[in-house]
Amino acid sequence: MRGVLPLLAVLLAVEPALSQTVEFNRDIRPILSDKCFTCHGPAESTRTTKLRFDVETAAKADLGGRFAIVPGDAARSEMVRRISSDNPAVRMPPASSGAAKLSDREIGLLRGWIEQGAKWEGHWAFVAPRRPPLPAVRDRNWPRNEMDYLVLARLEREGLAPAREAARETLIRRVTLDLTGLPPTLPEIDAFLQDSSPDAYEKVVDRLLRSPRYGERMAIRWLDAARYADTNGYQTDAERYMWRWRDWVIGAFNRNLPFNQFTIEQLAGDLLPNPTLEQRIATGFNRNHRGNGEGGIIPEEYAAEYPADRTETTGTVWLGLTIGCARCHDHKYDPVPQRDFYRMYAYFNNIPDRGRYNKYGNTPPMIPAPTPEQQAKLAVLEGRATAAGQRFTALEPELQQAQTAWEKSRDATPEAGWSVSRDLLTRFPLDNKEFDGTRFFDAGKVADFGFYEKFTLAAWIYPTAATGAIVTRTLDTAEGHGYHFVLKDGRVQLNLVQRWLDDALRVETARALELNRWHHVAATYDGSRESGGIRIYVDGDPQKLTVLLDELNQPFRSAEPLRIGGGGGMENRFHGRLDEVRIYSAVLTAEEARIVAERTAIAEIAALPVERRTAAQSAKLRLYFLENRAPDPIRQAWKELVDARRERDQFRDQIPTVMVMEEMQPPRDTFVLIRGAYDRPGEKVTPGVPSFLPPLPAGAPNNRLGFAKWLVDPANPLTARVIVNRFWQMYFGAGLVRTVEDFGAQGDRPASVELLDWLATEFAGSGWDMKALQKTIVMSATYRQSSRLRPELAERDPENRLLARGPRVRLPAEMVRDQALAMSGLLVEKLGGPSVKPYQPPGLWKELAGGEDYRPDHGENLYRRSLYTYWKRASPPPFMANFDAGGRETCVVRETRTNTPLQALNLMNDVTYLEAARQLAERMMKEGGATPAERLNFAFRVATARRPRPAELRILSETFARHRDLYQTDRPAAATFLSQGESPRDPALNVSELAAYSAVAGLILNLDEVVTKE
Amino acid sequence: MHPRLERQLLLTRRQLFGRTAGGIGAAALATLFAEDLKAEGGLPGLPHFAPKAKRMIYLFQSGAPSQIDLFDYKPRLAELRASELPDSVRKGQRLTGMTATQTSFPVAPSIFKFAQHGNSGAWVSDLMPHTAKIADDLCFIKSMNTEAINHDPAITFFQTGAQLAGRPSIGSWLSYGLGSENKDLPAFVVLISQGSNGGDQPLYDRLWASGFLPTRYQGVKLRSTGDPVLFLSNPPGYSATDRRRFIDDLAQLNQIELEELADPEISTRISQYEMAYRMQTSVPELTDLSKEPERVFDLYGPDSRKPGTFAANCLLARRLAERGVRFVQLFHRGWDQHNNLPKGIRGQSADTDQPSAALIQDLKERGLLDDTVVVWGGEFGRTVYCQGKLTADDYGRDHHPRCFTIWIAGAGVKGGVTYGETDDFCYNITADPVHVHDLHATLLHLLGIDHTRLTFQYQGRHFRLTDIAGKVVRPVLA
Repeated sequence: MRGVLPLLAVLLAVEPALSQTVEFNRDIRPILSDKCFTCHGPAESTRTTKLRFDVETAAKADLGGRFAIVPGDAARSEMVRRISSDNPAVRMPPASSGAAKLSDREIGLLRGWIEQGAKWEGHWAFVAPRRPPLPAVRDRNWPRNEMDYLVLARLEREGLAPAREAARETLIRRVTLDLTGLPPTLPEIDAFLQDSSPDAYEKVVDRLLRSPRYGERMAIRWLDAARYADTNGYQTDAERYMWRWRDWVIGAFNRNLPFNQFTIEQLAGDLLPNPTLEQRIATGFNRNHRGNGEGGIIPEEYAAEYPADRTETTGTVWLGLTIGCARCHDHKYDPVPQRDFYRMYAYFNNIPDRGRYNKYGNTPPMIPAPTPEQQAKLAVLEGRATAAGQRFTALEPELQQAQTAWEKSRDATPEAGWSVSRDLLTRFPLDNKEFDGTRFFDAGKVADFGFYEKFTLAAWIYPTAATGAIVTRTLDTAEGHGYHFVLKDGRVQLNLVQRWLDDALRVETARALELNRWHHVAATYDGSRESGGIRIYVDGDPQKLTVLLDELNQPFRSAEPLRIGGGGGMENRFHGRLDEVRIYSAVLTAEEARIVAERTAIAEIAALPVERRTAAQSAKLRLYFLENRAPDPIRQAWKELVDARRERDQFRDQIPTVMVMEEMQPPRDTFVLIRGAYDRPGEKVTPGVPSFLPPLPAGAPNNRLGFAKWLVDPANPLTARVIVNRFWQMYFGAGLVRTVEDFGAQGDRPASVELLDWLATEFAGSGWDMKALQKTIVMSATYRQSSRLRPELAERDPENRLLARGPRVRLPAEMVRDQALAMSGLLVEKLGGPSVKPYQPPGLWKELAGGEDYRPDHGENLYRRSLYTYWKRASPPPFMANFDAGGRETCVVRETRTNTPLQALNLMNDVTYLEAARQLAERMMKEGGATPAERLNFAFRVATARRPRPAELRILSETFARHRDLYQTDRPAAATFLSQGESPRDPALNVSELAAYSAVAGLILNLDEVVTKE
Repeated sequence: MHPRLERQLLLTRRQLFGRTAGGIGAAALATLFAEDLKAEGGLPGLPHFAPKAKRMIYLFQSGAPSQIDLFDYKPRLAELRASELPDSVRKGQRLTGMTATQTSFPVAPSIFKFAQHGNSGAWVSDLMPHTAKIADDLCFIKSMNTEAINHDPAITFFQTGAQLAGRPSIGSWLSYGLGSENKDLPAFVVLISQGSNGGDQPLYDRLWASGFLPTRYQGVKLRSTGDPVLFLSNPPGYSATDRRRFIDDLAQLNQIELEELADPEISTRISQYEMAYRMQTSVPELTDLSKEPERVFDLYGPDSRKPGTFAANCLLARRLAERGVRFVQLFHRGWDQHNNLPKGIRGQSADTDQPSAALIQDLKERGLLDDTVVVWGGEFGRTVYCQGKLTADDYGRDHHPRCFTIWIAGAGVKGGVTYGETDDFCYNITADPVHVHDLHATLLHLLGIDHTRLTFQYQGRHFRLTDIAGKVVRPVLA
């Protein structure tokens, strides 16, 4: 592109002039890092000579009579000769490295630095921050807090004046958007404009910090950092459930959990003494990474991927280090050897998860995570069940008495085949049917279970051969899709098969049955998709099980009929006799399984003397009596107990789960992976923090908990800086360190290290008080400046690094939508809960993957804040993708903003904004006064907090008049235009007028000023 | 690129597209770069050298077509049918979890007939009769290989040069590096079609995402149902005239703000609304095939009249190429034939054979093949051994990353060439391997880009599409 370079030269003018003192960290380290470190840096593998520029002694060492750097003498410094040479054979960096010749400016800086004595400094970010002394400033009236002194001193050095304070309307809109993610309401604006007290602004700030909307706003960027989503990622990208963790984050911000505790609970809450449910939920942070459930993957490959993701994410979020660069080799720029990566990885490698994640839903380790409301309801239900149990137990003497009396009376002959009947789906008496190994009984399309469903299969069997199907719903070929309850080499076996072998579950009894006699066999499955959810009973006794396969990952529902004595091929037919097949749509308890296996008829048991009855017989008789013969009060009490338990259990099944961190015992070994390859383990390593940083604090355990404590230990030079820098980015659109993800040698150096360090020490010193930090920033004069770009700043400081003006930043995706909902009055301010599905154009999911399409919710879920929007990784919500939201595949901490036509189309034509405009129009007509001018003024204030200028009002009025005329002549068009969105239209309002106001409201919603924080 | 430089470039660009005077310097800049207003430029210094191709069309065959049944003819397999794949061939190489536990690996020769075609004598099976006819225009690379063994990582690798999601896609790199040649359309357009016989491998929006590059460089999906570009149409009851007035009113209001605040971002916003308005005309004009003559539909086949088919998308690809769109990528799903391969691959071939060949022919007739490069291929190949049961007329094949065939054609590519060789089992490469990174390096080269010099600094590292590898495959270059 012609002509760009001269312009760049102008823009680069903000760089320091060479006449100034050259500073190592500001001027020299970036050149060395970018141009020299690849061969002369920390990475041992690519270092070609002894000469290295990341260590002072080596850089200045005697290289056999020659010196790369001779302090004070550029002429004798080999480095200067090599970088300035025009001879390609001599010149550094070599052409073969692909790097260009250093620029004249870079050469000048290096030469100047050597001339000035080649003073070395440690990398600024790796040295603990020191609280800078407050500098003297000329304008003593401007600063409002200490932070401002640092900003102003720098401006005065540069000969720049700060901007005047922003207008009050601008200010309240700015701070309300920043602290709550929503715009101020008109009453809030008016109250502030009318409040002439000196602390009027502070009162607003305090009110905003107390709002529950504050926690939601703060959580948004944390979700990006934590790669939070509602699906598992990778191939099928099916749903997962981590919203309880998301709600924990919102709550933690709202109750102002100190950041050190916020850190410790998310990284290692499970390792705290007696962790609470909330502290365990917090550890979901490092389970938010993607999980691969694709058929055919090599699990070991992904078992290495997850701890690597946790390590890289944690490194980015807290340390601002690109530690992932050391996964395959020593870091090329920062002092992180590959071994250090795997030592840190070892902290996160001891989680009992598997390489292949569940394709659908959560993957262990996971816990039930009832919400506070659910906990309360569960407590009530538990209480009810306990009380019912107590009431029933209290009746025991009467029950005993009544049962004895009934047994003696022999008043009736109960039906011979009585057994457990609750949740009985179907039964086949069969009458000792003979199976000769060629035929089976086709029981039709019943007992069609999916993999989340509970069931019990039970039968009497008299096997004459060691192998044969008992009850199946599967293809009549070996090892087919479906469930098969079979006898295999004498062992009782349950198979749940999606695809043999890699998507299947097989467990069998450890002991083989004795053939040629009757046995009762039963299997229960609890819908957990895991071998641990299966029990097998033989003759009423629970069996020790052998797990042969535990890889079930997809539904095994089969279109085949239920077969008794067959299924799975000819060689799998049953030999012998089968009787009384019973299938339940529930997991029978051990006691119930024992009763089902008890053959003795009720009358016979009753006839036995009590002391000669077996436990199973007594239990069977008791259950029969309770259900059928007990006196009414006792039957009633029993029924209440059964119902109370059932209600409790059903409620428990609805409780959301969340994936969490847990430690494995014994610990899993960690190895350096050569070139990062999962199948090339090298040296075994123990957990440890990066060696160039301070060690673990005294007394901290060397595990995740100790690591988390180390992150927030005062000796750690990075965490506080990295965190305050990200908060800064939230307000100013960019961090003081622009590379918010990289504080290493390749990272950006802040315009003012002092300002960053002041904030970092203030933050840590306050006890990591997050709300106090927000308050400090938004109370400062720096933050309150007008954002107008003055001509001198456009030239000198287009990026606002010196902070001579306030922030002016396009709103993030979430806020663009949330504020439209808020201004229209549609927003539903409900905190937390499962993710919701607002409007989305149809077909987006289906065209990518076939299968099910996105189905929008209805009612209030359409109008929840955007952080609750269902996030499918393979197909992120389009309004998020259009407005630069991160992809939620991996950790993203840098905010980026673009300005595209797709954004314009989104704001102009998406039903979300059309409906918001329509509702804002209704507000204009109902709340905005009587005249068009008043109403336009109203909407403009709702959207921008200020009154329109006359020129603006004129344009709006003309637009309104034009549309009113148009829609008065074409009322059907007006009605059509107003049909957008699900919310009802007020029929009392004039259609043409409402349509005209909607058109103007739409215009207002599209204003640059409205989608921008001024 | 250093973030500082990146920011400066963005500022520069924004000022470039500032439509109006009044902002500081914006007027001067707008005049200065008036010629550049016609389209968005790429990076300074790019292309690195005179390009052979101005644009690329990538016909991605998602799910992985079987090279053994389409292009890589292995006559010796017939006599080895159902015999065990020798260990000397497999060499203990890793298999997917789906067949790793299989106890037998019987050789399954293709049941399809192969013949040599064109002057070049390229082997093509009877599944691809139309492709066979244009064999002399194509360069078959039989020695493609990749590191990934499962769909998601493998497609991600082809799209971004890395197996794990998060890096920019090839189209984003191109639009970042070379910019756009059309002021009314995006530089990177994606079209999706479903295999006629189903197929369960999903696609993901991130396959055309811009990763750590600014999102303006992401691919824009052109859809066959609803709005071709999301939110393109005005709501019912709101006419194009209304929209024109709206854009003007908005520009006036934004102009007032620009005068007040002088932020160049505001002038960019004004011009983006203009572009949005132009897209409202240019996109429907693009997707309206009604003016295409009959013979064009005949060329692309009957499916080309059905929106959303691969054939219709091929025709759209030609129209996009005509309009100078830098990178057009088609994705056709449904090539994952683990079982019932003969039936599945017949359907897939019927979907893609005629339209792919028609596209080449059509581009050629219009002279567009001289500056367009076309790529056809999937994310890996398929195994010679049978997955599931081998019968007389049925078999399945598992994933095979060690060798597979793709073809490339057009600007700067040698036609009528077959490059690379595989062993008699179509299992290992015996000559001239071409890695995914090599393919990327070669494609960038055709577009005038030195793949080692198209970089973006992120997380302290200078990232490139080809990571730390890739060499240009010179023998396939014309």
